[in-house]
Parts: sequence; structure tokens; C-alpha cells
Amino acid sequence: MASEEAKEYVLPPEVLEETMRASEELWKPVRKIKFRIYKYNPKKDYAPHWEEHELEVSRGMTVLDALLIIKGEMDHSLGVRYSCRMGLCGSCAMMINGKQMLACQTRVLEAAGNGDVVELRPLDNFPVERDLAADFTSFFEKHKSVKPWIIRNDDIELNNPTGPYKQTVDEYARYYQFTDCIKCGACLSACPTAATDYEYLGPQALAQAYRYMVDTRDDGLDVRIPIVDTEHGCWRCHFAASCSDVCPRGVDPAQGIQLLKRLLIKRKFGYKPHKPAEALPAKVKAEKKE
Amino acid sequence: MEAESEFKEYYAKNMRGISGWFKVRAYTIERWLYAAHRITGILIVLFILAHFYSTGWHPGLWWDALLGVIVTFHTANGIRLILAELGFAVGKPLLIKKPSQRPVSIEGVQRYVVVFALVLFIVLAAIWAYYAIIVQPMMG
Repeated sequence: MASEEAKEYVLPPEVLEETMRASEELWKPVRKIKFRIYKYNPKKDYAPHWEEHELEVSRGMTVLDALLIIKGEMDHSLGVRYSCRMGLCGSCAMMINGKQMLACQTRVLEAAGNGDVVELRPLDNFPVERDLAADFTSFFEKHKSVKPWIIRNDDIELNNPTGPYKQTVDEYARYYQFTDCIKCGACLSACPTAATDYEYLGPQALAQAYRYMVDTRDDGLDVRIPIVDTEHGCWRCHFAASCSDVCPRGVDPAQGIQLLKRLLIKRKFGYKPHKPAEALPAKVKAEKKE
Repeated sequence: MEAESEFKEYYAKNMRGISGWFKVRAYTIERWLYAAHRITGILIVLFILAHFYSTGWHPGLWWDALLGVIVTFHTANGIRLILAELGFAVGKPLLIKKPSQRPVSIEGVQRYVVVFALVLFIVLAAIWAYYAIIVQPMMG
């Protein structure tokens, strides 16, 4: 019986052939692209220089694929940071033809457009670690400084939880969008304000601050206000919206910062977005089990 | 030796500096507005300094119209920014995203606000230019 069911799902030979042909076409070399790569080791080199490599690329090849081929076959000293290769870890953000993108999610032909040159640089406004890898120390410190965790006053419940905190879908929708952040650094790199203000918290940290401030489980609104309501906090943002433009995960930090400003203004008039959510009684859980 | 270390530090820090304000290629129109807002703001401050020195001084016929362009752009874009910073016209956070979701804050209502700000700028600048170039010389 099981084998009969399984047979129904086998692809017809013509579909299988079509799929194979499409797959072969996707990986068939179509064009020669020149890669201009920024080479700089701050510990050794006096100044950065550019290196050029030519590569036959296929339609499906991403910039990271090309970089790994270059690293394996042409220039073993190339410094590039990557991990998951599918846009989840945020390690491989770099300047691809002058715009912040994830190397693993950008196809070479898409980046090259009508031209035949792809220029790769490390992220702007980040210290260079080596070649295409940027130093994220200050970026993570800024993220940490807005206390990106749930702050609550009921220590007893927090340390010995009796049940999950209550939250409706509408309350969840207020902050869900911002939880998708992968900390790739593209937004801070694209921000024109961050180009001159080194201490500016940046779109990532401010959007995360907003994410926790409107979370109904959280009670740290007044703890975070002195951190973001400063000269280098959210009032430095003038809505150039490039952070949202380059975000590979659709987090929209520019929106988060504007909503954060609105929240701060409302707070000055005594408004509080929510009371900290109560824990669901353990009884409900037990009753459901029965 | 000191110059050399400064040179090295410049490349190691990789900060764009003021050129970062004007790196508008490849981004959306808001970036152009940001750059223009900066320039017009700085120019207005420069004019105000001259204006404080002598309140009767004005740059003159066509330059007066140019001053109008600067001031009215800063005003119109300023209205857009005030609206955005009060949380209007930037949309609501999404619960469901498409695979390659474009930001709501720039591709939603904000598009209309940008057009409104630009139209307001053109209308105000035209009125200012009319007064500066045609009406004022007639008044003497």
C-alpha cells in the first residue's frame, strides 16, 4: 500500500527532464565578470589596494560562491567572513557595487547589471578587520547598550516561572517585524548620520530598543528612555531611510526609530504603552492536559 | 611618522565622513532629500549670520529667489520630517512578510508625503520668486 502511494509522487519523465535541463542551465557559465576586490590588512599594509580577478559566472551563482572560488583557486589570502550561506547569520554583508548587501543573497549577474564589473569593498563606517571582513565590536556594544532583553520587576516570577506570559496576536504584531534582525550591520553602514557621528547608536540598536519597549512582557520602558533619548540616540535620525532600503530581512529600522520618537514624545505626556503582561496561571496548562 | 600612523588609521577606521552625507547613488529618494536638507540647513545658517550683521542686507534680485528656493525646500521637507518623526505616514509594523519584503516606511504612504513635500516646495518657491523678482523691484 505504501509503495503504491509513493509511486504516485514520482515525477513524470518529461517533467524530470525539464527540471534537470533548467537546473543545468542555471549553473552553466554564461558571462565573464571581472571582480574588483579591496585588499587591505591594517596590521601589515600601508594603504589598501585593489585586486582584479576574472571569472566565468552562471545565472545561479551568488557573490559568495564567486568569492569562495576566487579564494580557493586564485587568491588564497583573501579575507572574507561567512557562515550559513543562506541569509540567516548576517556575516557576509559587504559593499557590492557601492551598496550594502549580503554576498550570499546577491547573484553576481544581478549585481553586475549591464556592466561586467563587480566591485567588492568592506562595509562603510566599520573598521576594517581584513580585506572584506569588518570589525563589529562597537556595533555589538551599541546593541548591548540598549539592554536588548526582557526587563521585569517581578524577580520571583522571572526566576521561578509558573507559566508563560500572556500576549495577544495584536500585541505580538507590534514588535514581530523587528525580531527578524540578523545584525549584519548593513543599516549602520548605510546610515549617513553614522558616517560622521561615531557614537550614534545606529538604526539597529534603536530599532531593537523599540522592539523591547513595546513588548508587553517587558517593563523596562523607563530604564531604556535615558539611553535612547540622548544627543547620540534616536533624535540624530533624520529619516534618510537608507537603513530600511538596504535591510536584507525587511526589518525596516527607519520605521522603528520614527515610532520610537513618537513613543518618547507620548511618554513625556505621561502615556505608557502597556502594563507588564501577567503570567498565565499554571492551572490552565494542567486543565488543558486533562 | 605621525602622519603615517594617521594615514593608516584613516584606512583602518574606514569612516566615510562628510562624503557619507552625499553618497546618494543606489539609495531611495529620501537619501537625496536628506542630503539637500543638510545643505540648505547649512546655507540658511550662513545667511542668518549675514542677516544678524545687517538686517537690511539682502543678496539681490536673483540671489533672493535662490534664497527662496533654499528656505522653502527646508520648510517643505521639514514638514515631512516632522510628520514622520511624530510617527505619521510611516506605516505599521508587519506581522506577515513577503520573501523579499520592501520596507513599508518608504514604499507606503510615505511616497505620497514625499510628492506632497516636493509640490509644496515648488509652489512656495514660485510664490517667493514672484515676489522677489517681479513685485519687489516694482515697490522700489
